[in-house]
Amino acid sequence: MTFDAIVVGSGMSGGWAAKELAEKGLKTLVIERGGHLEHGADYTDSLSPWELENYGLVKEAEAAEHYGIQSQCYAFSTATKHLWVKDSEHPYTTPEGRPFMWIRGYHLGGRSIMWARQSYRLSDMDFQSNARDGHGSDWPVRYEDMAPWYDHVEQFAGISGSREGLPQLPDGQFLPPMDLTGAEKDFKQKLEAAYPTRRLIIGRCAHLTEAKPHHEELGRIACQYRSLCERGCSYGSYFSSLSATLPAAQRTGNLTIVTDSIVHSVIYDPKTGKASGVRVIDAKTKQGRTYEGKVVFLCASAIPTAQIMLNSKSEAFPNGIANRSDAVGRYLMDHLSGMGASGTYPGFEQNYHSGRRPNGFYIPRYRNVTEPTEGLLRGYGFQGGVMRDNWRRGLGQAGVGPEFKASLRKPGPWRIHLSGFGEMLPRPDNRVTLHPTRTDKWGMPIVHIDVSLGDNERRMVEQVGADAKEMLERAGATGVSVRKHYGGAGLGIHEMGTAHMGKDPTKSVLNKYNQAHDVPNLFITDGACMASGGCQNPSLSYMAMSARGAHYAVQFLREGVI
Amino acid sequence: MQSTELAIDRRALLRSAILLVGGSMAGLPGEAFAQGKKLTKARFFTPAQYSVLDETAEIIIPKTDTPGARAAGVPSIIDDLMANWASAERGANFRALMDDIDRRALAAGGASLRALPPARRLEFVRAYDAEKIGAKDPVYSRLKELVLTTYYLSEAGATQELRYELVPGKWEAWTTIGPDARAWAV
Ligand SMILES: Cc1cc2nc3c(=O)[nH]c(=O)nc-3n(C[C@H](O)[C@H](O)[C@H](O)COP(=O)(O)OP(=O)(O)OC[C@H]3O[C@@H](n4cnc5c(N)ncnc54)[C@H](O)[C@@H]3O)c2cc1C
Ligand code: SF4
Repeated sequence: MTFDAIVVGSGMSGGWAAKELAEKGLKTLVIERGGHLEHGADYTDSLSPWELENYGLVKEAEAAEHYGIQSQCYAFSTATKHLWVKDSEHPYTTPEGRPFMWIRGYHLGGRSIMWARQSYRLSDMDFQSNARDGHGSDWPVRYEDMAPWYDHVEQFAGISGSREGLPQLPDGQFLPPMDLTGAEKDFKQKLEAAYPTRRLIIGRCAHLTEAKPHHEELGRIACQYRSLCERGCSYGSYFSSLSATLPAAQRTGNLTIVTDSIVHSVIYDPKTGKASGVRVIDAKTKQGRTYEGKVVFLCASAIPTAQIMLNSKSEAFPNGIANRSDAVGRYLMDHLSGMGASGTYPGFEQNYHSGRRPNGFYIPRYRNVTEPTEGLLRGYGFQGGVMRDNWRRGLGQAGVGPEFKASLRKPGPWRIHLSGFGEMLPRPDNRVTLHPTRTDKWGMPIVHIDVSLGDNERRMVEQVGADAKEMLERAGATGVSVRKHYGGAGLGIHEMGTAHMGKDPTKSVLNKYNQAHDVPNLFITDGACMASGGCQNPSLSYMAMSARGAHYAVQFLREGVI
Repeated sequence: MQSTELAIDRRALLRSAILLVGGSMAGLPGEAFAQGKKLTKARFFTPAQYSVLDETAEIIIPKTDTPGARAAGVPSIIDDLMANWASAERGANFRALMDDIDRRALAAGGASLRALPPARRLEFVRAYDAEKIGAKDPVYSRLKELVLTTYYLSEAGATQELRYELVPGKWEAWTTIGPDARAWAV
């Protein structure tokens, strides 16, 4: 079958590519390896806690046998189990002593269903960071190239946030911000007084704090503050491929979706020097088939996109398609995560909150922005919150009987927590390769993921914990406990960089249009394209890259250049 | 017993019907979506162990002006969890824990837990709890966690003892409360 455009993957980036391509009139095919997921019907957001199977607890033997990696994600429960891959079915290897926790879901919509919706722009500092300190390839784009595309995706997706005028975290087209609790405002004031170089802002998140007509047209309504989001939201109140981009693509009449179809490789036509389509394995029957297209977008997420490319071998590309640079699979980055601190925030006994805000506060990066830091490159930001505790404080506490019950009936003290997200340097040795011998049950070579931390990352892990503790203590928090322990590579769930953009075709994979240097009608707009990662949650950038890449692909098709 | 798939199908049907008529899901009776009730089941714990669990849970969270653990179904939920969730090792540890509580009650008060007078029962469990939590005993700590979790997230615990709203509808970041205000269950 022949299409104008083929998009591989239907997650955060694939949904955007499909929407833009279909809206520009291209007959677009989305190929998704996972099964169909129905917006609303396949969500579990109508269930109260007591209605969840096993109160949310996944059978221990099943979790150990099939979900050894996925069960390490906080969002894994009986309410969401159907949204995660079975690790037992989707193996990969890592070197001894260097685990990589690859958290993923294979279904229509990908991880846009389970994501935590924090949405931040990269800034010009981020687009210049590689050029400045020499790590990785200089980005072939700058913030001003991206800004209109951030505007574009924010308006459509619906991003709530406050305008702050911070150079390291550019403002956007925001829906109204969510409110900080009074205790958070108090912390903000103490923090900014103690550290005039640091700021605390309300988190920016992909929630409709207000539904505009273009959101309502797609059946999306304003957020109802339930915080059940990782189960899927039947109201469409947060952005996902299923609530927003795929329905928008569908209504053009130009979209075809095939699910249960695993893209095995991209077909290269040596006569034209272009990609002619993709080979697919049917996930159910294991039969092979092909689809043809004038342009191919890889949006399978950073690791599978590299896997598909490396597996697309031909005489012209013995090491995988568009890989003359040997950069495909290299420069894998994640965000350092799992470090932070928490404590009790005294006072405010007469105050509480009502509703469940699916968002927290954010302390944007200050290291090497407002605070030059000797011996440390790049920086990190913090997500956090100050909320009153509930009965959970009773868990590790001695006590039984009527007094114990009466004490847990009252709201607990205010608790504060900070969680750091740190930038990893792009390093060529952190890489994905194809396993030399092992294949999965569909005959696809499995990936081998080799990621380690460098000196800068190790210093950063220490510094994030130390900073978190100091900020809490200086603001008067008590009983502060620190998490200096780094959860492990992968657990940031922000894998990226495996087919990065760069100016030099001998060192990078994509040019400034997300177009492969070596294959002009092959575009890659998922996290693989990132030349550096910033410390901001990255999905908004993938959305902007996807919309922008689609724009240029259509332009080049019309001009007859590709 | 209804299979989970059927339950999901039914839920999906109901939900799409609601969405078709443009309604909101708020206010629908929880039962409409709940899983089918199990008809028969063998208990995980022996009758003696179950009675220790039942008594211990009710002592940790007793009936006051609101239901206690027993009325909220905690002992039977934990029994279900042992059958449907716990690993073999955890199940064995929990059985041993129930036996240990009973044995210790016997040693301390001359009678099994159930046979002690109510005041002595409370005293015994309070001391046992303080000792085990103080020692960070993983098995007892997990039992207590399950008692609290299944109580406060049960319908009675969440909506009678505490407060719970499936669909809050709005976020109020700063409210004023009186000394008797109850906490949110989630
Ligand atoms: C719990 C959680 C919280 C998160 N929180 C945030 C957050 O707050 N902010 C943020 O920015 N990001 C967050 N993320 C990360 C975010 O989800 C990802 O960055 C984003 O989804 C990546 O988009 P993608 O399109 O590259 O990949 P995905 O959304 O993962 O989609 C890839 C799709 O491709 C399909 N696919 C893979 N291989 C093939 C193949 N061979 N053939 C066909 N299809 C294939 C997959 O099945 C999948 O549907 C979070 C993720 C998780 C899991
Ligand atoms: S908090 Fe908002 S987005 Fe999340 S599930 Fe509730 S209504 Fe949906």
